[in-house]
Amino acid sequence: MKPLAQDPTLNDFGHDPWWIVLIKVVVVFAFLVVMTLFAIWYERRVVARMQVRPGPNRNGPFGLLQSLADGLKLAFKEDIMPKLADKAVFFIAPVISTVCAFTAFSIMPFGPVVSLFGHKTPLQLTDIPVAVLLVLACSGLGIYGVVLGGWASGSTYPLLGGLRSSAQMISYEVAMGLSIVAVFMTSGTMSTSGIVAAQAGSDTHWGPITAPSWYAILLLPSFVIYFVSAIGETNRAPFDLPEAESELVGGFHTEYSSLKFALFFLAEYINMVTVSALCTTLFLGGWRAPWPISLWAGANSGWWPMLWFTIKILLLLFVFVWLRGTLPRLRYDQFMRFGWKVLIPANLIWIVALSGIKTLQKSDWDGTKRTMVVVGVVILLLIVALVWPSKKEPEKLTVADQIAARPDGSFPLPPLDLVVPVNPRAKRITASREEPVTVGAPDDSTGPKEA
Amino acid sequence: MKDISLPHLNYAALAPMLILFGVACVGVLVDAFAPRKARYPIQLVVALVGLIAAFVAVVLRAGKVTAENAITAAGAVSVDKPALFLQGTLIVLGAVALLLIGERALERGGPFVAQAAITVGSDADQRQAARESGATEVFPLTIFSLSGMLLFVAANDLLTMFVALEVFSLPLYLLCALARRRRLISQEAALKYFLLGAYASAFFLFGLALLYGFAGGITFAKINESAQNGTGNITLLYAGLALVSIGLLFKAAAVPFHVWTPDVYQGAPTPVTSLMAACTKVAAFGGLLRVLYAGFDRVHWDYSPIIAAIAVLTMLVGSILAVTQTDIKRLLAYSSIANAGYLLVGVLGNSALGLSSVMFYLVAYGFTVIAAFAVITLVRDADGEATHLSRWAGLGRRSPFYATVFTVILLSFAGIPLTSGFTSKFAVFSAAGGGDQSWLVIVGVVSSMILAFPYLRVVVMMWLSEPGEQTPSVSLPGMLTSAALVIGVVITIFVGVAPQPLLHLTSEAANFIR
Amino acid sequence: MSLSPYVPIVGLFALAALFALFSVAIAPFVGPRRYNRAKLDAYECGIEPTPQPIGGGRFPVKFYLTAMLFIVFDIEIIFLYPWAVSFNQLGVFGFIEMILFIGTVFVAYAYVWRRGGLDWD
Repeated sequence: MKPLAQDPTLNDFGHDPWWIVLIKVVVVFAFLVVMTLFAIWYERRVVARMQVRPGPNRNGPFGLLQSLADGLKLAFKEDIMPKLADKAVFFIAPVISTVCAFTAFSIMPFGPVVSLFGHKTPLQLTDIPVAVLLVLACSGLGIYGVVLGGWASGSTYPLLGGLRSSAQMISYEVAMGLSIVAVFMTSGTMSTSGIVAAQAGSDTHWGPITAPSWYAILLLPSFVIYFVSAIGETNRAPFDLPEAESELVGGFHTEYSSLKFALFFLAEYINMVTVSALCTTLFLGGWRAPWPISLWAGANSGWWPMLWFTIKILLLLFVFVWLRGTLPRLRYDQFMRFGWKVLIPANLIWIVALSGIKTLQKSDWDGTKRTMVVVGVVILLLIVALVWPSKKEPEKLTVADQIAARPDGSFPLPPLDLVVPVNPRAKRITASREEPVTVGAPDDSTGPKEA
Repeated sequence: MKDISLPHLNYAALAPMLILFGVACVGVLVDAFAPRKARYPIQLVVALVGLIAAFVAVVLRAGKVTAENAITAAGAVSVDKPALFLQGTLIVLGAVALLLIGERALERGGPFVAQAAITVGSDADQRQAARESGATEVFPLTIFSLSGMLLFVAANDLLTMFVALEVFSLPLYLLCALARRRRLISQEAALKYFLLGAYASAFFLFGLALLYGFAGGITFAKINESAQNGTGNITLLYAGLALVSIGLLFKAAAVPFHVWTPDVYQGAPTPVTSLMAACTKVAAFGGLLRVLYAGFDRVHWDYSPIIAAIAVLTMLVGSILAVTQTDIKRLLAYSSIANAGYLLVGVLGNSALGLSSVMFYLVAYGFTVIAAFAVITLVRDADGEATHLSRWAGLGRRSPFYATVFTVILLSFAGIPLTSGFTSKFAVFSAAGGGDQSWLVIVGVVSSMILAFPYLRVVVMMWLSEPGEQTPSVSLPGMLTSAALVIGVVITIFVGVAPQPLLHLTSEAANFIR
Repeated sequence: MSLSPYVPIVGLFALAALFALFSVAIAPFVGPRRYNRAKLDAYECGIEPTPQPIGGGRFPVKFYLTAMLFIVFDIEIIFLYPWAVSFNQLGVFGFIEMILFIGTVFVAYAYVWRRGGLDWD
């Protein structure tokens, strides 16, 4: 399937009259606000289903108006300005976060060229040659909101939370930035409409099935890394360390209340929508309908693509929620290690490998030469893997040594041969099963789930 | 989409820089993967072998360079004869300074600290001062710095020059902070150098932007062409030239951009000071010469009076303040400032003669100053180097050999005939005289007479005073320091007695290609 | 009259800024105000607050290291993007140059890794 004539290219942008631009701006803005309200409700309902409880179901049909009600409630809460806060920065930080979150969405492609009040215009606010960079720039600037908000609060928890978030976001921004290099390499453009067009479809057909053209399949490692780092970038579970309640209360927004808090919340959810939309655009074929639907000729024209785009975003959001409902939070050092020691080197190696393969494909070498190159690279990698120095594990000290090494004045230790009393619940359960009482791991899987 | 034309790279011309850069990367890897004990010997060998290889590459290239094949890498680099001469000078001076940096016989663990980030005076600090041998990162850092300098003197546009400026400056900032003894003053020196250096880089960058606005390009050829045709805004040209010059004169330690020099020279580990005094000076003047000669040849008459004023100020301030110094390292710092003044006088010759005389001066001064700092590393007591001048009193009685060596070096600094100091000063002053700057020559001679006073005072102190309780002993130098000292002194005397070969070489090389 | 493709970005930016500024500006007037000294103190879990000094206190030097590493890699990415976009036109030369570039950054990366710069604690 060749890209259709109605596919927008970079030349199609910048011809809208001002009123169409205005309409589009308002629509994108409204889309994001509605998506946020919806996503909050969606997340709460989905996570509730996973935890076998109803979730919000009071306000409106299926509780759909719950987040709207929450938002209105927040507006009528007291706006607290802590005594030690840096007033101006405290005031401006949520604005930075929110504005950056909104602006990042301006280049997302919703669909092909449609007719709007007689004007041919692409279903996309705008597109520029460096569109994806704009998203990265906005997400980078958004970090300022977080770190400044934490710093300006004049309090310990927000400061640490803000620093943690910024360290986390910049670490995962590197991984995210590297993961989309492969997309640019394959598509040869950084404009979002161009990337969507590049995924339009291949000419290879296997019977009724067209060979996959989505970068999620062609560039699977990039896709996986992008999605993982997107979760880290948006501070979502299992990477929600900045807001680790058990350690940092609320993280950078501990001191925020009322509408300022609401803005941070809004920015976080918009960021989620943005990374999902970017993921859709870069890896999941953008607004194009997936295979079975695409058999219907009208699927990729007119206003329908907006639906496919939104559905794809919602599916990705579902994965976000799913992860939150499933995985426990990582420890901070594990988290940073994962970002720096796994994602980044894996990314770089993947980029080098991909560019090597592509260069080899383009070269006019014959089969033997190519095979030799491939074999040579493989041997080189094996040698590197053999020579790579493995870190020596430090010798494990015995318990007695550890006790001897304690400085004077340490806390007294309980006796090492202390017999742990049996957990009464475990005793009850095992007794009902008429099995001998064991000490150690009590089987509490039958206990009530925490709601 | 337009086709992208790939730049042509002349690898033979770029080889010295590429070799040094590669060697520095290897050094980093050695530091990452080699076992702790093996690092020092490996690093030393790798660095010296790299420098020798780079020097061979320079020599090989020197035979083949022509006006046509000098410019490469899409016009960013011009490996012409002056560039090759300066690169060769930098490599040799760098190698000699590296010998001092690598010396570990004088002090347990060498002149560098193992972990510079440990709080000064803490328990951990005392432990590492006593036991741990110094950081081996100094070798790759030195080589990185040298590779930056090599690029700096060969840069054919301002942007490449700026990148090279940063590449050679950043490792130097770090090296300054790594002294094993007197760590606070060392860290202070590094911070001052860094902050002022960053400031100067910013000036350079602003100037670059303005010159781009003037000429619509950043290569020297383009700037020169625009200045010749009179196209472009002349205010931008002057403002840009002034700002770029500030950045370069800062590195060259010319007054009024010299204030960092005494503190940094004093605080930095002495081997690093020698590297800065010799190599940074070569690089800074190499860059200044290229900017003024290749880029702004056409506005020569406009900038000359200002550079001349700076030269006069530099010579006078350097020499007069040198008189009041009581610390030998600070004394040499002010002497280095005054020498920057003499070099500027040579720069104003504005001819092939000016260029060759400045290059001659840089070689002669570089070797002498390294030898001087080598002696300073030897004069020590229990607290490390004894740099206060009063401590040097009566050194001639304690160890006449090293006192003699230092006397030769000081006489060379003072410009006494039969030393390199005389021939090099003669060269720059005659170049300036030829360029109608006779009054500068008079100021130069007067200031060298002033500057001779502090040198001779040290000589008198060493020989005519009785050694007191406080007079430190001279440590027996290790092989590396001995080698550096011998090279420095021999070249000082050789260039003084028989300057012809070097003069021939410099006048052969004196032709910039932009 | 048509507008430059950058104008809509400014438009969305302006609308978002208006909305956000309006929200933070009206927040003190819409909500109630009930004075309570404890409310204005820095938040701590029930203990006497140890507020940060004005302008922020000292925090682990580790964060600076992360920031520096970020800059190194972000600059690498900035160089990788234009290369990736024009990858198809650059051919073998571009491939080798980029291998060298990535390799150089990798040297620094290996050094930092071995020296424990990537370990938290």
